[in-house]
Amino acid sequence: MLVVENVVKAYDPTVSEAKALDGVSLTIPQGVFACIVGRSGSGKSTLLNVLSTLLKPDAGRILYNGRDLGRMSEHELDTLRSSDFSMIFQLHHLLPYLTALENVLVPFMKGLKPISAERRKTAVACLERVGLAGKHDRLPGKLSGGEQQRVAIARALVVSPRVLFADEPTGSLDKKTGDAVMALLKELNAEGITMVMVSHQAEYAALASQVIELEDGRVKRPAWR
Amino acid sequence: MNIVTIPLRNLRRKGLRTLLMAIVFGIGIMAVVALNYLSKTVGESLEKKLSAYGANILITPRTEHLAVGYGGMQLGDVSYDIKYLRERETVDAIRSIGHKDRISAIAPKFAVFEKVGGKPVALIGVDWEPELGIKSYWVVRGATPKAADELLAGHKAASALGLDTGATVVLRGATFRVAGVIEPTGSEDDNVLFLDVHALQRLSSAENMVHFVEVAALCAGCPIEEITAQLAEKLPDVEITAMQQVVKQRMMTVGFVKDLALSVSVVILLTACVMIALSIFSSVNERKQEIGVLRAVGFSRASIFFLFSLEALLVGVVAGVLGYAGGFVVSVKMLGMLDLAKDATLAFDFGHLGVTLAAVAALATAASAWPALKAARVEPSQALIML
Repeated sequence: MLVVENVVKAYDPTVSEAKALDGVSLTIPQGVFACIVGRSGSGKSTLLNVLSTLLKPDAGRILYNGRDLGRMSEHELDTLRSSDFSMIFQLHHLLPYLTALENVLVPFMKGLKPISAERRKTAVACLERVGLAGKHDRLPGKLSGGEQQRVAIARALVVSPRVLFADEPTGSLDKKTGDAVMALLKELNAEGITMVMVSHQAEYAALASQVIELEDGRVKRPAWR
Repeated sequence: MNIVTIPLRNLRRKGLRTLLMAIVFGIGIMAVVALNYLSKTVGESLEKKLSAYGANILITPRTEHLAVGYGGMQLGDVSYDIKYLRERETVDAIRSIGHKDRISAIAPKFAVFEKVGGKPVALIGVDWEPELGIKSYWVVRGATPKAADELLAGHKAASALGLDTGATVVLRGATFRVAGVIEPTGSEDDNVLFLDVHALQRLSSAENMVHFVEVAALCAGCPIEEITAQLAEKLPDVEITAMQQVVKQRMMTVGFVKDLALSVSVVILLTACVMIALSIFSSVNERKQEIGVLRAVGFSRASIFFLFSLEALLVGVVAGVLGYAGGFVVSVKMLGMLDLAKDATLAFDFGHLGVTLAAVAALATAASAWPALKAARVEPSQALIML
């Protein structure tokens, strides 16, 4: 469970109007499909980055399963990002010189120890899971936009995360591919992974069980379905 | 597949840039290796050539004597107790010192006064092979002595005694043939007659006795003080005098060549390091998004630092191997062209290659430290949010 308590984040602390998040408080229970919505500049991506530990808040605190993320060491945060948390970006951000399978294995390439056969098997299974069986050896440049996003999802899944953060995962995809990606995310949520997604598309927000609407850095209307 | 996969694949993808970076660094290393080989070989060659202009260590019996002279006028020595050195024992002792490989010539001397046609002249008994080695500046009219009954006459001595090539002269009851006359040298050699040391010892009933021994030492690899200390240990009862000025001048010449090579090497290497650093800087700026993604999937700052350092290290090792091989080939060609290494040998040294590779790897890693640190400091959000 993620608990956000009075979180403030300003990109330019000298200007009070520049607060991207202005006292945000909310709770995201384990297993929900939460969708952060709002107009452009309302603070959606900032909130997602703060929740996923990519960004540090200026004030307030975030508790993950009771642990204050602000009190965690750098090493603990690195570990959290490679175990419990995973992230999907709008622009998939695959490493262009690695194959699809190698991109999925990137979270395991942190040390000099060679990746085990078991982890390799898990990565292959993740690629198959997202519908990319037989495309393991393709470089991202040889895959379509939807396929690249699927590789990014497989990369996020390979560490068996408990929370999956997705920043407009369908933003750069066409309708059909976007629908397929959303269906996949719903499926993963149904399997128990907490989903925290930013989207400006109302039809995808409608699939969420919790909608967090932001306006000028404040929670306008938390809604449950 | 591990962390090394990432820099390896990236270097392969940026093949042209990697190649250019390796070439730039490799040229720097090639220049340094070639300069090092050249300066070392030329230094040795120069020293050998310089050694041919005389001895630099003088070994004499320990005597109590006073030099009598004033105002530049030498009136001779007053010796209270004339002593001799035992030739074989002294030469054997010199050949047994630790730095014996640095000894290029041992030239014993036995000197006596004799009257020839009523004129006094000094007879100097020498061992011809080492003597001619350290007196390579002699220009001999005629030939150098081949037999024990042949001698060489100094220019003034030959003139004063009316001797010329082929003439004979009776010395201490034995007849000697003048094999050659030494052209003027401007030194004491002009005034004396040189003959075989053992023949002169026999004629003087002083077998195995010599008055002094001149030694020519090569001092590129060790200071002259070390050689004299080792000689003093083996020959405790003799005077050992290092002709410091001669030695220092020789070492200065060799040192200058080496210092020049070192200075040029440092400039070249610094330039190559700056090139590596700039290239890694540019790579960091280009790959901020990638750094952000890696940090987002749990890569620590240390892992990011390692990634970029590893890239520089890999380029450094490749450049090191190519540069070393190129440097060796260039030095062989240059030495051949300059005709400088006649007296020196140039051999491929695998130990040197290993040391060079280790040094290059350390240098490349050090050059990449700053940009790698910059990469490690990239905040994931900073890299991803701006996209």
